[in-house]
Amino acid sequence: MVTLRISGIDCSYGSIKALDNITFSVREGEFMGVLGPNGSGKTTLLRAISRTLKPRVGTVFLDDINIYDMKSKELAKNVAVVPQETTATFDFTALDIVLLGRNPYMDRFRTESREDLAIARKAMELTNTWHLAERPVNELSGGEKQLVIIARALTQEPKVLLLDEPTTHLDINHQISIMDILRGICKEKELVVLAVFHDFNLATRYCDSAMLLNNGRVFSIGPIDTVLTGENIQKVFQVNMIVKRHPITNLLYIVPLSTLRSKITPSKDMSVHIICGGGTGGPMMKTLLEQGYGVTTGVLNTLDTDYDAACTLGIPVVNEAPFSPITQEAHKANLAMIDEASAIIVGNVPFGYGNLKNLEATKVAMERGKMIIVVEETPIQQRDFTNGRAQNLLRELKNKGAIVVESCGEALSKLEALKNEVLQKS
Amino acid sequence: MKYNDVEARYFKRFGRWKIILILLTLTLISTITFTVTIGPMQIPALDVLKVIVKNLPLLGNLVEGGSSPLKEAVVIQVRLPRIFAAAIVGIALAVAGVVLQGLLRNPMADPYVIGISAGASLGASLAITFGIGFSLWGVLNSVPLMAFITALCTVFIVYNIARKGGGVPMLTLLLVGVAVNSFLLAVVSFIEMVSGEALHVIIFWMLGSFAVCNWNYVKIALPFVTVGVVLIYVFARDLNIILLGEEQAHHLGVDIERLKKIMLVCASLITAAAVSISGIIGFIGLIIPHITRILVGPDHRILIPSSALAGAIVLILCDTIARTIIRPAELPVGIITSLLGCPFFIYLLRERKGSAIWQGR
Repeated sequence: MVTLRISGIDCSYGSIKALDNITFSVREGEFMGVLGPNGSGKTTLLRAISRTLKPRVGTVFLDDINIYDMKSKELAKNVAVVPQETTATFDFTALDIVLLGRNPYMDRFRTESREDLAIARKAMELTNTWHLAERPVNELSGGEKQLVIIARALTQEPKVLLLDEPTTHLDINHQISIMDILRGICKEKELVVLAVFHDFNLATRYCDSAMLLNNGRVFSIGPIDTVLTGENIQKVFQVNMIVKRHPITNLLYIVPLSTLRSKITPSKDMSVHIICGGGTGGPMMKTLLEQGYGVTTGVLNTLDTDYDAACTLGIPVVNEAPFSPITQEAHKANLAMIDEASAIIVGNVPFGYGNLKNLEATKVAMERGKMIIVVEETPIQQRDFTNGRAQNLLRELKNKGAIVVESCGEALSKLEALKNEVLQKS
Repeated sequence: MKYNDVEARYFKRFGRWKIILILLTLTLISTITFTVTIGPMQIPALDVLKVIVKNLPLLGNLVEGGSSPLKEAVVIQVRLPRIFAAAIVGIALAVAGVVLQGLLRNPMADPYVIGISAGASLGASLAITFGIGFSLWGVLNSVPLMAFITALCTVFIVYNIARKGGGVPMLTLLLVGVAVNSFLLAVVSFIEMVSGEALHVIIFWMLGSFAVCNWNYVKIALPFVTVGVVLIYVFARDLNIILLGEEQAHHLGVDIERLKKIMLVCASLITAAAVSISGIIGFIGLIIPHITRILVGPDHRILIPSSALAGAIVLILCDTIARTIIRPAELPVGIITSLLGCPFFIYLLRERKGSAIWQGR
């Protein structure tokens, strides 16, 4: 049973502390992702484990052997590294490069043997690069070259594989295929794999466990879904994230929303209520929030994507049970919320008997002197499922002075104009 | 792809390497034989061979009679030591060039880049100008000795300025080398200004020449160059690996700092030994490695020995031209190496355009 054990390491570059008392261990066959913002110490951690940078305090054990006591070649037999990119390789062929991985096993005066060549071939077959064996490595594409480097790492027959953002410079197709290969190798050869990632979605897809670094310290470590939570990511990266399970893959997926730093406190004197549903309101909510408006919405059914969006963005929302028509109660709550707003935006939403009450609420708002903006990307005839009642209500609104726009963007500029007017008055 | 084919082709290269080395060795031997015949006194190749064999231990008795004592003296005392000196210097500069280009991963590097030439020039110009007259064991005069000592001191200083923590960053070493080079050349220029009549001698020395070489010069330089080149060859595979960058070489089990130290010491020693007996011969150390790389590939296990042989051959030929072309006077060999080397190198670059001699393809 091979275990990589990092024991209380501190690393510094000059007077700048890069790693602060890091302790953890990784088992064989475990694929661990290392994540964190730039400068959080991810690469430094790999450098300490590969003995490129000696820690000030603490050390790294492979089983019970201190890797800092190993000879250079002994270390290379146990720990292999795949860097982000490899340059300056002259006219060496791919096979030449892979065979360099046998260096730790070769005496100074021995040339490559048939056995070395067989090991190199196996590694190249595993990474689907054997057909490139005799091609000059400079002529290979970035993805092919990276696979050759991975084959070289495997030729070292290591117990530990360290990957420093191995797919950062590659296209999506190569990212996936290389990560598939790496994960396969990790399981088949029971390697300890420690990989630095910047891409959360790649990490959630391939890692068993993860470590979140922040300012040189371990912020969180454990199974991937306990580490990559919205809360953790928000704290470490200062970004709002949507963390969800994907309906098809059932994997966690993570979408960044906005950085916390640029978030403006919503103004009390200019708030907007949005009538939407079925995904017509989400982007508008986000943009309005970012521009500093107070935003509310309703009535929305639970499970509606716009309801999810509102919850994620932390917007006050009046909700109704799934697939149910709007009840009188919800309607009243909605009216109360509308009273607080200075403008109402009616999104390009289809109307049925279930949500017709939202239009009625808008009419009430108009009577109470609110500004109404109606977004009409598609004619109301095409999205009226109430035998014309919605059309009538909308016509009435228009007649009473509601502003009609053709897109959400236009709605926003109208709002902006209104806001300036209000600001001038006060 | 069939494994056996690839395997066969892979192992074929070791056979090819042997053939390349045998051919180059044969070329070197015939170059030596051919150039010995050339000079104010024409000596037929057969006579040359007779004289050489006669003077070899053990085999000497096999040759009877032979050539005149005058011819024998010209071959043994005048031409051969000069040719051997050229061979040793050619080997040293070419191999040092290979090492520094590999270590610095820089195609512009040559043996002089870390300050050896300027250091040697300083010592030599001091010795020439101020007539510092001493000699070691009565075999060498002060110029090569001073040049050797100041060259090594300069490298030592450059190395220590560039050192940081436990290691030497190669880029810093390169930059410090360039800076120290300029500084010392300014000092040399100043010495030249005040040197008066000695100016001509200094300039001639700095352009490189084998005019004064005798067997003593060969005997002094040979052990340094032999040990240095052999030691460098021992680390040939490590030099291959360091081409991937120092960090990756470390990951592949190469003790980087030790390798750099040993290689720099060896390259400096052989370059200093070469420079001290011949002066500053340009271009060989820069171009021979490139030409050889084009011809035999980037693997240092073949690149080092073939560069050594090619360096010897080319420098012997250049020196032969230098000593015969404006007879009875002679040109500094450094002028010939550059005049002939540059156009040939540019020709090779143009011929091979589209394929790499260095990483840029």
